[in-house]
Amino acid sequence: MKYFIIGGGVAGTTAAEELRKRDASSEITILSEEHHPLYSRVLLPHYIKGKIPRERVFLKRDTWYAQQNIEWIDGVLATHLDGRNKFVGGSDGREYSYDKLLIATGGETRSIEEDLRGVSYCRTLNDADQFLQLLTEQGKTTRGAVYGGGFIACEYINFFAHFQIPITLAHRGEHFWTRNLLPETGKLIAKHLIKNNVDLHPNSILERLEGDKELEGFVTSTGRYAATILGIGIGIEPDFSWIREAGVEVGTGVKANEFLETNIPDVYTAGDIAEFDDPITGRQLQIGNWMNAMTQGRIVAKSMSGERTSFQIVSSYATNVLGLEIIFVGDVERAAAEEIQVIGSIEEGGITQVFERDGRVVGGVLIGRNTDRTPITKAIQERRSFREISSSFS
Amino acid sequence: MPRIRVMVDPDLCIGAASCVTIAPETFQLNEENKAWVFDHGQEPEGHTYERWLEVTDDEKENVILAAQSCPTLAIFIFDEEGKQLFPEV
Repeated sequence: MKYFIIGGGVAGTTAAEELRKRDASSEITILSEEHHPLYSRVLLPHYIKGKIPRERVFLKRDTWYAQQNIEWIDGVLATHLDGRNKFVGGSDGREYSYDKLLIATGGETRSIEEDLRGVSYCRTLNDADQFLQLLTEQGKTTRGAVYGGGFIACEYINFFAHFQIPITLAHRGEHFWTRNLLPETGKLIAKHLIKNNVDLHPNSILERLEGDKELEGFVTSTGRYAATILGIGIGIEPDFSWIREAGVEVGTGVKANEFLETNIPDVYTAGDIAEFDDPITGRQLQIGNWMNAMTQGRIVAKSMSGERTSFQIVSSYATNVLGLEIIFVGDVERAAAEEIQVIGSIEEGGITQVFERDGRVVGGVLIGRNTDRTPITKAIQERRSFREISSSFS
Repeated sequence: MPRIRVMVDPDLCIGAASCVTIAPETFQLNEENKAWVFDHGQEPEGHTYERWLEVTDDEKENVILAAQSCPTLAIFIFDEEGKQLFPEV
């Protein structure tokens, strides 16, 4: 049996590891765009802030692959898929045949049109190294800025604050996470950022960068701002062209059923790129957190090796922006919710939004209210309505 | 039954909760979104980030799996001789 895995991140590598555990003799190949062995993107902020040495971001040594008898091809992208004849064309010009294929290529950062030294992205270890390099070069002259209103923007805020660099932040929407937060919740976050000296500009669309060889500033619809480093966090935009061309169904992600099977036989998907049927919330979801990627890697390996397994996990993610805890649990898309219950308030310093659909809790956004996480997670798992659990909240 | 020492480093822990998903009898998040270590669902002598546990071989494997699932490698596991089982050194 030949298993071919496109993507060397946590979903793909976990799948490879699980496949090897289940079958000692099959061929397993990982095709990876990056040259690094598996590392944790979640640890990149710790590395940037100097909390861990660079080597600690790695989850596998480069010798691990050979030890597990897993063929690891690094620095190659998939450019072509033939689902009928079962082979993948790589950017190295080679053709790789497979019996079972896993597409776990993750998300590609959406980039702004212009590029200039000082523009920073935050997805890969190379990005993290580059950010540190810019800080070293600029030293005390660093003027920090962020363009974006989501998780990556929060990371940049934390980086700049850690190094005591002034921060200007512009985002396109009214407030952070416009797809998930109600205006009141958005205001809570804005207040917190402003209180912590972030120069915040909502409803601000980037128009152009300023600077000759290096970034000096940027212009948006709300004004012109000085910046020597501009951290970009405006979402992901994977390249689906080669996937679509192969006839694989693609929405915002690679579409899959609850077994993580795509519409093409023997082609599976897992991780950030998967748009999968979720029996728990009753909808197709696309989730970009660690727990989802790792667990899907494990489950899809089961399905691929003959033990067809339904992926059913309520995943969540927690982060912190300048001391304010933020947790996303389950399905938190405003547009897909029938009702959103609000607990707490700006005055109380914490708000929880409970998302309901078909009379049951499907997700929660918790700002500064960590203790709501367990009751909401349980409610989703047990298909309860908000009314049934409302007494759990203080 | 083997004994292992399980330790969560609260400086590394970010509350991702993959450990809770895999081994809820050993890990639960506290109010600060960090994982406390439990002994088969109980907290003898109160809250702690570090505990000795007596476990079956299967339970030990599951705790190691939980440690492997942590995106920040915040869970450390040592055997009775003090040798670090995970993360591998």
